[in-house]
Amino acid sequence: MNVLIVDDSALVRSYHRQILESGGFYVEEAANGLEAYEKALTKNYDLYIVDINMPVLDGYSFVQKLRDTKDLKQSPVIMVSTEQENKDKDMAFRCGANFYIAKPVKSEELLGFCKIISGVN
Amino acid sequence: MDNQTQDNTVLSKEDFERFREFFYEKTGILFDESKRYFVDRRIIERMKATGYDNFKSYFIAIKYDISGKELQNLINALTVNETYFFREEYQFQAMVENMLPEITSRKKPGERVRIFSIPSSTGEEPYSIALYLLEYWKDIDKWDIEIVSSDIDTNVLEAAKQGVYSSRSVQNLPKPILQKYFTPLKDGYYKITDDLINAIEFKKANIVNSIEMLKFRNFDIVFCRNLLIYFDDLSRKKAAENLYNAMNPGGFICLGHAESMSRISSIFEVRRFPKAIVYQKPLEGNV
Amino acid sequence: MGLIKKQEEFKPQEQTEEISFELLIKDLNDEDPQKRLLAARLLGNYKEASIYLVDRLGKETHPVVRESIISSLASIKDEISIKGLIDCLRSDDAKLRNSAVEALSQLPNEVDSCMKELIHDKDRDVRIFAANIAGLMNHPKAIYWLIEIVENDEDVNVCGTALNELAELGIEESKEAILKAKERFKNEPYIQFAADLALKRIDNG
Repeated sequence: MNVLIVDDSALVRSYHRQILESGGFYVEEAANGLEAYEKALTKNYDLYIVDINMPVLDGYSFVQKLRDTKDLKQSPVIMVSTEQENKDKDMAFRCGANFYIAKPVKSEELLGFCKIISGVN
Repeated sequence: MDNQTQDNTVLSKEDFERFREFFYEKTGILFDESKRYFVDRRIIERMKATGYDNFKSYFIAIKYDISGKELQNLINALTVNETYFFREEYQFQAMVENMLPEITSRKKPGERVRIFSIPSSTGEEPYSIALYLLEYWKDIDKWDIEIVSSDIDTNVLEAAKQGVYSSRSVQNLPKPILQKYFTPLKDGYYKITDDLINAIEFKKANIVNSIEMLKFRNFDIVFCRNLLIYFDDLSRKKAAENLYNAMNPGGFICLGHAESMSRISSIFEVRRFPKAIVYQKPLEGNV
Repeated sequence: MGLIKKQEEFKPQEQTEEISFELLIKDLNDEDPQKRLLAARLLGNYKEASIYLVDRLGKETHPVVRESIISSLASIKDEISIKGLIDCLRSDDAKLRNSAVEALSQLPNEVDSCMKELIHDKDRDVRIFAANIAGLMNHPKAIYWLIEIVENDEDVNVCGTALNELAELGIEESKEAILKAKERFKNEPYIQFAADLALKRIDNG
C-alpha cells in the first residue's frame, strides 16, 4: 500500500515513516498540503496521513481539495494533529477525513488504522 | 585548520541528509543520492569562500544569518541557471496543446491573448514562446497575441533587443526553425530576425514592487521560470501575488521544472496537463 | 492575426486614477474583493496603514485578500502589525494561523520582544506556534527560546515541536535540555525518537 505522509516537520515525517515501514507499507512524503496535492495528481496513493497545521496549504484545505477532485474523492485520509479539542476533530471529519489521531501518534494506533484501510482495499 | 573530524572533501552521510532536508524545506528541491557529489562540491566551495572549516558551523551560519545572504549564495550555486532556446520545452507544448485552447474558448473573436515572460534575461524565453506559437500553434492566425517580457536588469533587456545568440544557446532548436528565423553571424553566433525582435515588448520591471507591477495587467499566460527560487520567502510571496494581480481569471502560470508553488503560496489552483503541471488563477467566484 | 506588439500604452482603469492613501483605505473595505485585494497589496507601502489592515484582517473572509493583508502587515512590520499578526495565532482558522506563523517567522527582530511571553502562553497551541516561529526564524536567540521550551514545557506536543527544531541543529548547548525532556517524557515514544535523533546529531557534529 502506497502512503503519503503530509507534515511540515521532517522529524515527524521520519517518525511516521518508521512506523509505517515497520508495518510493510511503502511511504512517500510531502511538506505541506499543496505539495501533497501536486503529488496526488501525479501518483495513486492508497492512504494520506495529514497534519493540520502546515504552511502554504493546511491539512483541512488539502483534504477538501482531495474530496473536490474527481479521481481523488474516495482517497482514505487519516488526520493527525496536536489539536485535541473536539471542535478540531469535528472539523477534520467535516472536511472529509476518515479517521483522526492525536499527536504524538502511538505506533499501534496508526498501524491499526492503516491495517483497517488496507483490509478494505 | 589541521584537525578535521571529517574528510575535507566530502560531507558525512548525516550531514548530507540534514542539509538535504533543510534545502528541501526551503526550496522544495530534493537532492537524490546521484546529486551527492555535485552538492558536496558546491557546499565545500561555499564553505571555503566564507571561511568555515566544518559543515556544522557553516550550516548554523546559513540557518541563522538574518540577511539570508549566504543561503542565497548557496541556492545560486546549487541551482543551475543556464538559459537557452526551448528550455523546458514541455511547458510550451502544454501551452499550445492545453492552455491556449482553454483560454481561447473563453475569449470572443477579436480579443487578444496576452503572454508575459519574466525574467526575460537575454531574450531566449520570450523569443522561444514566439517561435513556438508561430511554428506549433494551429490557431496562430486566428488570434492576436501580445508577448511582453521583463527583467529588472536593463543590460540584459538591451541584449535581448539585440537578439544575438551563441550556437550553444540555439542548439535545442530544430534546424528548420534556426534557418527560418536566424541569420548566422561570425564566430558561430546567430541573430534572430527583426520581425521577432519587434514583436516582443521588452519592459523593465521589478517583480516584487507592487506599484511598478500595476503596469502589467490582463495576462492569460505567465512564464516565470527559475526566478522565484532566488528570493526569500516573503519576496517570493509578494512576487506571486503581483503576478496573480497581473493575470486574467483562468490565466495560467508556469514555474521552472524544479520549482513549485508549494513553497510559495496557495492562491493559485494546480492544474495537471499531460506534459506539465501548471498553476491557474481561479475563474469566476474569485478575484 | 499572429504576433502583434501593442502600439500605445495599455492603460487599465486603475492607472489613470491617482493612487491615494485615502482611496486605498476606502477600497480596502469595498464590496468588490478585487478592489480589496489591490488595496491590501498596495497599502503594504504605507506605514500608516497598519491599523486599517489589522482591522480589515479581523473581518476579511476572502482567503486571497487575507494573504495580501498579511503580506502587507509583514512589510510594514510596526508594533501594530506585529500585534495584529500575533493575535491571528489564536484564531480558529487554520489557514489564518499558519499564514501568521509564516509571516512572523520572517520578522525575527520585530517578534523578539514578544517571544518570551508567547513561549509561556497559557494556551498550549500558541506555545506550539511560538516554537514553530522560533524554529523557522533566522535569529540566534531562537535557539535559547527552543531550549527553554524543551527544558520546561509540560505539554508533550509543545516540547515535541521545539525538540523537532533543535534536532535539526545539533547544538551542544541543547544537550542538557534534551536529556531533561527525555526524562520528563520517558513514556512518550515520539519524544524518545526525537530526542535520540537530536542527541545523535550533536554527537556526530
